[in-house]
Amino acid sequence: MDFRLGPKADEVRREIRAFLAENFSEADRRRTLEEGGGHDWDLYRKLAAEGWVSAGWPEEMGGGGRDPYEILTLYWELCKAGFPWIGLLNNGFIGHTLLALGTDLQRKEVVPRIASGEIAFALGYSEPGSGSDVAACRTQATRDGDDWLIDGQKMWTTTGHTAQYIFMLTRTSTQERPHRGLTLFLVPTDAEGVDVQPVHTMGGERSNAVYLTRVRVADSARVGEVDKGWAVVRFALGLEQAMGFADLQEKFVEDASRWALARDDEGTRPFDDPRVKEQLAQTAIHAEVSRLLRHRSTWLAAENRDLGGKGAMTKSFSATSYLDDAQAWTQIIGPAGMLAEGEDGAVANGAFEEAFRQTPVNTIYGGTVEILRSLVAEIELGLPKSR
Amino acid sequence: MDLSLDESQEILVNTFSELLEQECPITLVRNSEQSGFSAGLWSRYCEMGANAMGLPESAGGLGMSLLELGLVAAHSGGALAPVPFVEVATAGRLLAALDAQDTLVSEIAKGTALVSLSLPRPHPVTGTGPSKASRTLVPFGSVVDQVVTFEGDELFLVSGAPQRRSPRVLDTGSGALAHWDLSKTEGSDCRSLANGITARRVSARATAEWKLLTAFWLVGLAKRALAIGAEYARERIQFGVPIGGFQAIAHPLAECATRVDGAELLAWEAAWADSEEPERFEALASMAFVWASQTALRTADVSLHTHGGYGFSEEYDIQLYYRRAAALPSVAGGPREELQSVAELCFDTDASACGEARVRGA
Repeated sequence: MDFRLGPKADEVRREIRAFLAENFSEADRRRTLEEGGGHDWDLYRKLAAEGWVSAGWPEEMGGGGRDPYEILTLYWELCKAGFPWIGLLNNGFIGHTLLALGTDLQRKEVVPRIASGEIAFALGYSEPGSGSDVAACRTQATRDGDDWLIDGQKMWTTTGHTAQYIFMLTRTSTQERPHRGLTLFLVPTDAEGVDVQPVHTMGGERSNAVYLTRVRVADSARVGEVDKGWAVVRFALGLEQAMGFADLQEKFVEDASRWALARDDEGTRPFDDPRVKEQLAQTAIHAEVSRLLRHRSTWLAAENRDLGGKGAMTKSFSATSYLDDAQAWTQIIGPAGMLAEGEDGAVANGAFEEAFRQTPVNTIYGGTVEILRSLVAEIELGLPKSR
Repeated sequence: MDLSLDESQEILVNTFSELLEQECPITLVRNSEQSGFSAGLWSRYCEMGANAMGLPESAGGLGMSLLELGLVAAHSGGALAPVPFVEVATAGRLLAALDAQDTLVSEIAKGTALVSLSLPRPHPVTGTGPSKASRTLVPFGSVVDQVVTFEGDELFLVSGAPQRRSPRVLDTGSGALAHWDLSKTEGSDCRSLANGITARRVSARATAEWKLLTAFWLVGLAKRALAIGAEYARERIQFGVPIGGFQAIAHPLAECATRVDGAELLAWEAAWADSEEPERFEALASMAFVWASQTALRTADVSLHTHGGYGFSEEYDIQLYYRRAAALPSVAGGPREELQSVAELCFDTDASACGEARVRGA
């Protein structure tokens, strides 16, 4: 038994911290937080230049061949620093998917441009009428000569306003089972008929709705076989290790404890109130359990063992415990805990307020907690499928 | 990183699983509710060396680690074994740490002495605390002959069971609790073990060990309670289908499965830290105790309610788990009280054991 991530992960931690110290200033953090797009081209390209976009791809396919502990540590450090990492995450696994399932042309022409940071993709799965039920996708792709014409609407296309392409799920035929008849395309965001509109969220993140009207793409933009898009989606989802938010929970514990232990002018500190101690301890326990569940998922991946429902456990526990803690703190602190970062009198420099606004989305995106619990019930407890 | 058990640990687990399957059926647990203790099962434990597992080899023990003790505790908890495995292990290790040649240590190693300990409560809720040393509730106090206690910066051993031990008191967990008079006297039934800093250190260590092993015990209890609930959900038919197909039944069970896995990992990590990251051990043991306590009760509760009305009937086993899930940790004050200690151990020290300051090669 060994709970350490190992020397390679430690080395990545040092590297990323050095990178952040050199390239990611406090002003950058504030600016990207305010923009809320989850992606910043300058910062992204600096990371790409050091090989981090392709870090997790297999070495024999031209990737960095970094192990799951190294990739875990990369995201851990970026998240804790408040770095906009969503573009990195999406393109890491889209590039990997294209390497595995794309055409020779895509491997030669597209993948190197992803790896270098020249181009980036947004994810185009969700639609107004299909969220958790991804396969209910209705955006239509129809053949037109050698090309395809795409009509429909995508929703929650985060980074869609800054990315050059969308990794887009479409319906190419109507069959008895909805997950047959789906096809993936690489759709340029500057193509005629693509209209990207902002969707602003309570957490400060900007997402997008994308309207598609007779958008023409060549057949060379197709990923995988016609009507077999579900296999591509499943491969990409499989790469997306259920990460959870243990890194952010660890940061939350650090912010909360720093605030709780600081003495005011009269020498008193919040920590000496038993209610603060109790909530601080509970928050720390939740963070530790989230970290352990995530480390276990990473270990299973590194050992090529069956993940079962354990990825779903990692994300569902982390999302719900972080949300519970963010809410619990607001019920202890009073009005100053509701003040945002930079406001006069903001507690812990707005850390509690920020967590309160940002945590609700965690139980939703990348697989809702409700879906994840069903997976755990079916896979880990052998209960019947319920949807 | 390696989250698997090694071969000898697997053998240990299998050995005790088989023992408990054969020797500790639920009928034994039910038949022991009147005393909270099965002498027959304990003698089987001693034949397997369970009493001496955690003692140093120089004292006739097997020199096993807290992880190995924890694995046995978890399987015992799953079977609700009515034996003082955790108490004897903890008290024995405390005595051996002070003096491995103590004759009482060799008696524990031989299985001829039963010793428990009193558990300090630094944050008792007003009016509920161990009000006086003369009346302390001791786990397995009704069957042990001697009790280790820490009072006024001194660690001492109290014997004289006939005078100092009150009759067994029935608690909701059907344990073997009894009030002991643990007040310090000059008589021969009170032996001083250590003073000052040594006493404080050894007492804190033993308390942390008891909490960690109890956490393991509760993890085993919670795992079994979950399995009972899941099995019922797969088999019970209502509206023509197994009730486990309803999300209102399935999701709470899934959430418990997740929490139980977390509790197990946390207990393992604490046991691992004992040798590998000792500066974090005490804080992790305290966290493991809280989380296992919270998780065991919640899981037993969800499982009980999965059964509908049957869960409340004595005939069904889940009520045995539900009652013990709350009763066992309460001996040390319980999880709500322990959160105060977690906060102090994690944050209110020069070397913070949590968050950024954690030693992780950074």
